[in-house]
Formats: sequence, C-alpha cells, structure tokens
Amino acid sequence: MRDAFDKFEAAGIKLYALSYDDQETLAEFAQKQGVQYKLLSDTDSRVIKQYGLLNEQLSKKDAFLYGIPYPGVFVCDEDGTVISKFFHDSYKKRESPEMLIDAALGRITIDETAPRAESSDDGIRITAALHGGNGSLRQGIVRQLVTTFELPEGLHIYGEPVPQGLTATEIKVEGPAGLVTLPMEAPSTAPLRSKTLDIDLNVWSGTVRFATPLYPVGELVSECRPIDEREVELSVHVTFQACTDETCLLPQTRILTLRVELEEVDVPNLPIHTGHGQREGNYDSTPAMKRLVWRKVRKNPLRLLQFIWNRKRMERRSKR
Amino acid sequence: MKAERDELGFDAPAPVGHPVRASLPADAPTGPAIGDRLPNFSLPDAFGRVVNFHEDRGQSKAALVFYRSAVW
Repeated sequence: MRDAFDKFEAAGIKLYALSYDDQETLAEFAQKQGVQYKLLSDTDSRVIKQYGLLNEQLSKKDAFLYGIPYPGVFVCDEDGTVISKFFHDSYKKRESPEMLIDAALGRITIDETAPRAESSDDGIRITAALHGGNGSLRQGIVRQLVTTFELPEGLHIYGEPVPQGLTATEIKVEGPAGLVTLPMEAPSTAPLRSKTLDIDLNVWSGTVRFATPLYPVGELVSECRPIDEREVELSVHVTFQACTDETCLLPQTRILTLRVELEEVDVPNLPIHTGHGQREGNYDSTPAMKRLVWRKVRKNPLRLLQFIWNRKRMERRSKR
Repeated sequence: MKAERDELGFDAPAPVGHPVRASLPADAPTGPAIGDRLPNFSLPDAFGRVVNFHEDRGQSKAALVFYRSAVW
C-alpha cells in the first residue's frame, strides 16, 4: 500500500485505512513505515461495528484480539457509492493495491516496469505481464498475470461456449509449487452471428486483456523463513483460435515464460513473531503492543492470563 | 515451536487454530453491498485530527481498507 501511494494519487483515489489501534501507534507506524495515506483510529471498534464487520470469531475472552474487523476493502466512486469490494478467506490474503486502483477505474492496467514476455506470430501479438507490486510475488498478496492479445483488424478469438470445431481461448498459468491461481477474469464478449453455422458466437477482437489472479502460499514464500530463491519462473500457456468472418487459422498454443521476484513479508518485530527464522522485522511494535494489551485487558487482567495459558497449551499440543 | 501450515497453505508463528490466525468463515459479513453508499463516520487520524470520511473525500473516489492492526 505504502509503495503504491503515488499510483493512488495519480489516479485521483483517496486512500484510508482503518483499524482499532490507538493514535500513538498509528503515528509511529506512519513515521517508521513512511505511510502517507490516512490511518484512522477506531479504538472502540465503533465504525467497525457500524459497518457490520466486527470479527465475531473472537470474543472478549480473546483479550486484546477482540475488536478487530473481518479484513477487507471497499472502493467507492465520487458519490461515495460502493463500486467494488474485496473480502477474503484469510487475513493473510489481500489484493495488490494496483487491483484496487483498477477496480476504481474499471479497467485492467499494466505497470511499465512489470516483468513481461511477448510472442508475435501471424500478426497477433500476445504479451504476458505480472501486474502489481512492481511485478514481485509476496505471500498472500493477490497479483494479476495479465495476458494481452493485440488482434489485427478483422480477426477475432472465441469465448465459451464454442461449437464443435472451434477452440475457445484458454489461459493457464503454471509456476512453482506453492503458487495458487484463481479463475481467469475476462472482459465480456461481443456476439457475432455466424451465417455459415447459423449460430451466435462469442468473440473478442482488437486489444483484449485477460487477468489471472494468483498468489504464493507458505510452500513458496513464508513469513516464517527466509525466502529460498530470489526469482521464480512462471509459464503462461495461451490456447486460442483466430478467425475472420470467413476463414479460421488453426488453433494454437503459445507458451510465454517470465521470471518474477519473490519478496519478503513485512513483519513487525514482536516476540510472538520472532524465533521462526524469518528476517528481522521492519519496526519494533512492542511498545504499541503493550499499550494495546493494557487498553484492552486492564478491566479484566485475567483474560490476558487465559490468553497466554491458551497459547502455551496449543504450542505444547502442536509439538507432539 | 515449528511454524505450522494452515489449510489454505499459509505459515504463521502461532499454532494452527489459535485465534490470532483464524481463517474467515465463508458466511462472514462483508458490510455494505455494491451499490450502497458507504455509511459516513468521523474518526481521528494518526495526528489526532478528526476526519469526516465523506467530507474529507470530497468529490474523489476512495478506497477504504479495514485491516487487523498495525501492531501485530
């Protein structure tokens, strides 16, 4: 987020981040991490509750954890109306900031510096580029592998469903173990009436962008160990058949390969995070943690003891 | 303790099943729907200035991020 702030500015999108942290914590965080967007302090989780986002898997018994939201992002237009929102099944998983900008602008873009591979043949140029985070992969952060077709005038490619004998466009992204890919996002097709077959076909023409969201999990990048390799290879298998209104080229598969960097996760330096082999955290949030715990459990210090005891018990169990 | 991998493939320092790393239930609420106006609110920012969301946004598009914590 911090690194993409300029892109939000350039796109005219204001950025706000809300949590249950106190002002002092946010001020420290902003200063140490160089955060330029607005960090909002919802210490009693009032707005989190107002939005209906209070994490109810946690209860007051969970000591200082209670009060956090289900993490997610809303993107709103000039009138304040929600045009897009993103919520995930894990707190570790979230969109690249660039995807939020695309959602606000209603388009898929590619950074100029994104790692890319290209293939030109039959007058059809196909480019594969990793969009978001300066083209790097980071644990749980969803980037997009964007495949761009540049089709010459008169040629089109097909979307599902296709009649027998024609090949629909298919893009498969393969990478090392631990890379998770999500279903491809495609722009909507245009209908095309085929006089010879007497049916409606679904086609794309001109410049078309397809996005395959993907993210690495622990096997590839983990916050609990240093990264094994600086770079990994992704291969993009693009199958399609290009046709004019009268004739078709043979179906073909092109394989584009690109190398992308792996990035470490930002982990605050806290006793609960250390000792697992990852690099040293970016900043020390121990004082903030002390304040948080004090603020949350001073009315019932027993809860903190319960919390610590519970954790120790679970750690003991996991050792067995 | 060795880092444990959860069912989604993520590693974390806390044991699997510990509340700090609970995965989100499929039916977790996700707040205002697409097409709704975001409810307005006022909250202090990092410098103690009170920010009225819609007023501060003015006529701009905005992204509003709800995250766990800047602490842990």
